[in-house]
Amino acid sequence: MNKCIKIPLMALGGAGSVFAVLFTIYFFNLDMKFMATFIEPFLSRHYDRMPRNQYV
Amino acid sequence: MKKAETVYNSKKRKGDKQLGVLFNGGKVRRRREWRGLKDTLYDFGRWLYLWGIMADASVSRGFVQGMFRYRWMANYLAVPHMLDKFTMGMRDEPLRITHTAMDFVVKDVAQCIKNSLRGDRRTGKDKAYSDTCVLTDENAMTAFMMGFPMLNAILREVPCMFSANLLNQYSAMHYLDVAQEHGIPGDVCPMPEAEAGMSIDDDFPVLGKIAVQVNTTCDGSLMGNGLIAKRLEREYGIKTFQLVAPMRHKEEDVQEYAAQDIKNAIAFIEENMGVKWDWKAYFECAKRVNQTTRDRWEWLQINSTNYPQFIGSVFSLYNDTNYMGNCGRSAAFPPINEKIMKLVHQGYERKTMMAPEYRHRCIVWGVQPQYVIDMLYWMVNCWGVVPLTDMLSMVIDKEIAEEDTPENREQAYYDMAYLNENMIMRNRTHGGYKVLVDELWELCERMNADMVMMWEHMSCKALTGMHGQFEEQARERGIHLVWVCHDLCDPRVYTRQAIRDQFNEYMRTVMREEPLDPSIEVQPDDNAW
Repeated sequence: MNKCIKIPLMALGGAGSVFAVLFTIYFFNLDMKFMATFIEPFLSRHYDRMPRNQYV
Repeated sequence: MKKAETVYNSKKRKGDKQLGVLFNGGKVRRRREWRGLKDTLYDFGRWLYLWGIMADASVSRGFVQGMFRYRWMANYLAVPHMLDKFTMGMRDEPLRITHTAMDFVVKDVAQCIKNSLRGDRRTGKDKAYSDTCVLTDENAMTAFMMGFPMLNAILREVPCMFSANLLNQYSAMHYLDVAQEHGIPGDVCPMPEAEAGMSIDDDFPVLGKIAVQVNTTCDGSLMGNGLIAKRLEREYGIKTFQLVAPMRHKEEDVQEYAAQDIKNAIAFIEENMGVKWDWKAYFECAKRVNQTTRDRWEWLQINSTNYPQFIGSVFSLYNDTNYMGNCGRSAAFPPINEKIMKLVHQGYERKTMMAPEYRHRCIVWGVQPQYVIDMLYWMVNCWGVVPLTDMLSMVIDKEIAEEDTPENREQAYYDMAYLNENMIMRNRTHGGYKVLVDELWELCERMNADMVMMWEHMSCKALTGMHGQFEEQARERGIHLVWVCHDLCDPRVYTRQAIRDQFNEYMRTVMREEPLDPSIEVQPDDNAW
């Protein structure tokens, strides 16, 4: 295939794939599900273990 | 009884019609809302933009250390979830208005987090920057900073406590427990109590050369500020000024005192920061404050018609941010106001509605928890009840002096005192019977409302004494008064569904109505962020 056609097609395909992946994450709320399942529990455990200088 | 004219939506709603499909009892929603192709793509674009703001904040100085040091930081994982909550059921202009306003609030709070962590003694450790910072109270109009463009006002309680609670209903619980473990009673307003708990737990970023606290909004706030100031001064050596606004702020004879205290606050800042008050900067800010007031009244004017456009928690949050945190100091707000104004007019001209029908026109009054839950948008979608405005959005109603003249320089102290006294919420919960009760009925007339939803905050003592008078006078005027109890940021006292059930019960038993969308009458989101 001619390079002049191949490069734009590849760029279009790449952009389309990125869009498809991001839109899937967005629509199925995978970003929030990931945060709620993995990151928040991990950080909560970390905060609970931290020594605190409590003072009134 | 009064009855508002029912307004029917001539346009068929695109995408999801039964919003209950989005909930499955988990921390987050099952999926995002399908709003038709155009609006879903728009919402997707704003989602990307939000992640962009978060990514930008995450590479700032001290951010990673802050994430591992401060418990409240974890709540910011839920920013896109919050926007899903506040755009429930929205299409067309209201969706764009809400995103324009709220995404800017997110950006503003992200900047506040970046600033707080940059100057923080534990994380960013930028001492030179910290020395230009004045810690200011979350519940304050930052009017006394309008003439100090060379300094940075840091409202550190906003990202730590207030905004965190918009994102996650459980964000304050740990701090409430800490405060109560140290002997603070549990019947204090959870907002200042959580702030006190955060100070006791040593979970505030520590920065700034000095601090200014105010006596707003209530006795609970005073209690919290006392503990916070003690730690700031004795442990961290940050001198704290107490700016005292009179309680009876409508009385003429307190204004001289109020203006004098503003002068004292400015003198305190000048003396400790080694800078001079800049009148040119002050009057520029005053022009922006006036523009904000004019814009807000125009939005309210459109909300008084059959086709309200800018409503709900975001209307209130945007006003909070614009008046209190900003108070004319940022030039970034007016262009956002302009964008919103354009969309509001466009939506009004196109008769855009947020639900298949509007059955009732409602004023939301009392100390409100509506940031934590999607109550106001739920009311529109579930019952066709439109929240036209709320108590916290009814801030100031007059313009301040904006031309730099010798007379106006003296008047400016009175204007700053006026802004401070009329801080959001405080201008209604203090100041006597007229501002809380009489003006509500005047507002009902002006906005053509047939219903008032009264938030009854279980731990707030400010409104309790007026309960009977509200009931008696609403009955006399034929206005439906719906009492809805809550406990602000403590969901253990009233869960989200317990809050909604009170409204459901009124609509079914008193109004004898059926919901527009029965799938969200009971919404399994009690465990959600």
